[in-house]
Amino acid sequence: MSARSTAKSTLALRKGAAAPVMLEMCSVRVGPTLFGLPITHILEILGNARSQSVPLAPEFVGGLVHYRGEVLTTVSLRQLLGLPGKEMQGADTRHDILVLESAGGCFGLLVDSVGEVLTVSSADHEPNPSTLEGRRSVLFAGAYKLPQGLLVMLDPEQLDPMRLGATAA
Amino acid sequence: MDELTREFLIESQEGLDRMERCLTDLEERPHDTELLADIFRSVHTIKGTTGFLGFKRLEKLAHAGENLLGLLRDGKLSANQPIITGLLQLLDALRGILRTIELENHEGEAEDGHVDAALIALLKELQQPEAAAITLSAKGKVISAGPTELAEPPAHLIHAGSKTAPPAIPDPETAPAPPASEAPVALEQSQETGKPKGAASDSTLRVDVVLLNRMMNLVGELVLTRNQILQATSLDPNFTMLSRRLDMVTADLRESVMKARMQPVSNVFSKFPRIIRDLSQLLNRKVRLVMEGQETELDKSLLEAIKDPLTHAVRNSLDHGIEMPDVRAAAGKDPEGTLKLRAYQEGSHVIIEVSDDGAGISVDRVRKKALERSLITAQRAAQLGERELLQLIFLPGFSTAEAITNVSGRGVGMDVVRTNVEKIGGKVEIDSRAGQGTTLRLRIPLTLAIVPALIVRSLGQSFALPQGALSELVHIAPEQVATAIEWLEGTPLYRLRGQLLPLIFLDRLLSPNLQAARQAESRSDEPMSEHDQFIAVLDADGRRYGLVVDGLADPEEIVVKPLSSVLKSIGIYSGATVLGSGDLALILDPGAIATRGGVAMGKAEVKMELSREDEEVEAAASKFLLVEAGPRRAAIPLDDVIRIERIPFSRVEYIGYRPVLNFQGQLLPIEDSAGVIASTAGNPTAEIIVVVCREGNRQVGIAVSHVLDVGAGGELFEAGSQQPASGVTLLNDHVTGIVDLRSIQPLPIASQSDFDQNSEWSYEAEPLPEVRS
Repeated sequence: MSARSTAKSTLALRKGAAAPVMLEMCSVRVGPTLFGLPITHILEILGNARSQSVPLAPEFVGGLVHYRGEVLTTVSLRQLLGLPGKEMQGADTRHDILVLESAGGCFGLLVDSVGEVLTVSSADHEPNPSTLEGRRSVLFAGAYKLPQGLLVMLDPEQLDPMRLGATAA
Repeated sequence: MDELTREFLIESQEGLDRMERCLTDLEERPHDTELLADIFRSVHTIKGTTGFLGFKRLEKLAHAGENLLGLLRDGKLSANQPIITGLLQLLDALRGILRTIELENHEGEAEDGHVDAALIALLKELQQPEAAAITLSAKGKVISAGPTELAEPPAHLIHAGSKTAPPAIPDPETAPAPPASEAPVALEQSQETGKPKGAASDSTLRVDVVLLNRMMNLVGELVLTRNQILQATSLDPNFTMLSRRLDMVTADLRESVMKARMQPVSNVFSKFPRIIRDLSQLLNRKVRLVMEGQETELDKSLLEAIKDPLTHAVRNSLDHGIEMPDVRAAAGKDPEGTLKLRAYQEGSHVIIEVSDDGAGISVDRVRKKALERSLITAQRAAQLGERELLQLIFLPGFSTAEAITNVSGRGVGMDVVRTNVEKIGGKVEIDSRAGQGTTLRLRIPLTLAIVPALIVRSLGQSFALPQGALSELVHIAPEQVATAIEWLEGTPLYRLRGQLLPLIFLDRLLSPNLQAARQAESRSDEPMSEHDQFIAVLDADGRRYGLVVDGLADPEEIVVKPLSSVLKSIGIYSGATVLGSGDLALILDPGAIATRGGVAMGKAEVKMELSREDEEVEAAASKFLLVEAGPRRAAIPLDDVIRIERIPFSRVEYIGYRPVLNFQGQLLPIEDSAGVIASTAGNPTAEIIVVVCREGNRQVGIAVSHVLDVGAGGELFEAGSQQPASGVTLLNDHVTGIVDLRSIQPLPIASQSDFDQNSEWSYEAEPLPEVRS
């Protein structure tokens, strides 16, 4: 519940609410870009975990990961963004994996590395630029202007493999 | 929905389920006051609580029912069939409203409000003792004037029995039915299971299934963690005691959680008295229902899964199996047919049988239909035995409704029954004798969560192959790969005991790029591997094929984890599992792989599992165990083979020059004409293989170097005279000598009774090699 309300509040803020609110974002890096995910959506971070590849799976699927008695499907952010795959090297590649909770259940997100938790102010938020290419505009939820650069927000609901599976086809 | 309402719904559903059982029992024992009191209690409880919660519609209906039941309970009325029918209608109406409450949180201001009124009027009407039977028929018409569909096909009645039923529609067909003394359905139910248990509720607790599933998951996790701990601590003596204890506690916990998920099959069986009552009235059949083994327990999720297939099977039995009473009488049978539901446990499976004593399935018609629909070739049809032909009714193309109804066999949606049962890892078998009846047997694994599986390797990954579909494994050494796998215009085949088996390469299936690359690399499709290959011979939905994999690991009992829908939609994985090593493995779905690999169902060989009797009958014909003894091959009649033993050489003892084995005081003479024992004599650690055979009333052992195969022998005739040759047979295209068991000399012992075949051999025998299972 709290997760969803936070998502909603970011939305509301995007539309220009008055008082700036401080939000906590987990920063992750994929390629050169710094991405952020609201920490309220993150169940756990599996550092240097092994993801078992699934032959014949859609490209965005990074594989399977074992998490507390369940087998989670992982989504490769690299693949989603069309970056050359780090996971192309074989089945035994290790990644940092974020375990995210979404409406459809839990899933994993493969990223290059997980950084620190950043506190950002809603005042620094900007919506997606209109020039952003199609798929990215769905996955991204705007960006925060930080002194060290941009923190691109990801929408956890859009990363859900079920949703990706439905739209990929 | 508030807690109170939810509680009320659950309780009322249970009350109504009990009421339904009691009502059908009441037909049998109309004066059983205990039954009446129980029914009264159910309705009364609903009435009381609804008043409190403010469900007016429910309250009114329950009140009307209560009045009628009050008279019955006090003995002022006796329960006859119209009354029971009326009460069953009330039951359906109550269920319908409960359903509405569950979905919409209010009881629904009925557009069928006047149906309520009519039902109440009917129940009032029934309170007049003499008038009951007469007025009912009149009343039935009044009610049916309402905007409701009348007598529908059986489907309607089927639904009336299930929980999704719309509020009941009084059926004019059933109302003017014969008086109770001639009730077409009599129920036979064992006393202890038929009677509701009241006091048990004090010591039990309702638990959400979701919670149980979660517990099961966590226990699975604990098992894995334990495995890893055991591995990690195996070298440290300080931890041995602790880890052993952990091991034990985990095993106990796992068992308890599994037990918590078990429910008696009576939960499903209890629906059937009503279904059969309604259906038999509609179809004008007389049917007696016999239920056995209701206390047999099955995992909750499995129980849910077999509900539909069972209903289907029962419906088929009534519709197509059991004949009309006059037809039965003409055939010299009891006009009242018997439908038997039986559940029992057999090893790690629960068997559920639905059998009737009806007309059975005409094998000739099945064959004709199959040919008409070109599901099999004429040549194939001629080869198939009766039992194999029967299995054809499970083929999807075979199950169009009118085809089967006309066949006077069954099969409406039989492929659905099979699909549902196979989905949960079960099997379906059918057995039918024309004129004597049909038995449908569902073989269900005890639990869904844990499945024995073979771990195979391909593309450097592990995959799990459910053992249920696996019939045998073939190993091909690297140097044989090129010759053993034959190619027919790009289609790989393997000769398995003389029959061509279509092959699917798992690595190519999983990696289309690889396939393209390999095809480009050699036009002739020669397999290029320099390493070992393994063929897992699979039997999925009657389709037989070989799955070629790169390696095999040990079989494991795997805990099945569901896959996300994205991965499920790939189609060839049925789940995932965590192996003892901590690695993940995908579980392959043999049926889906067959489909993807293009293994056709009907046209490929329809290989059926033979029953044990059939195996024996076939074996008796001319099956032989092909063995290698020293330099020669020899055939031993399979019928005479009791078992095959692998024993250390050191156990062989001698009486004089004759080698014998001592099995707990019983001597088994060993025939060693080929000198197998003599050739191993120098090596005390060697093992020898002894085929233990039956000869007359004694047992003898034959020492062999290898057991090669089981095959049917062909007859040989002497050239010229055309006399059948004795002592030899044609096995795998080779003339092979048959071992003459009679020529083995008895031991020099006074009495031969020691070798009486009835004597008990407590030694655990190794199973015989599988005979084409």
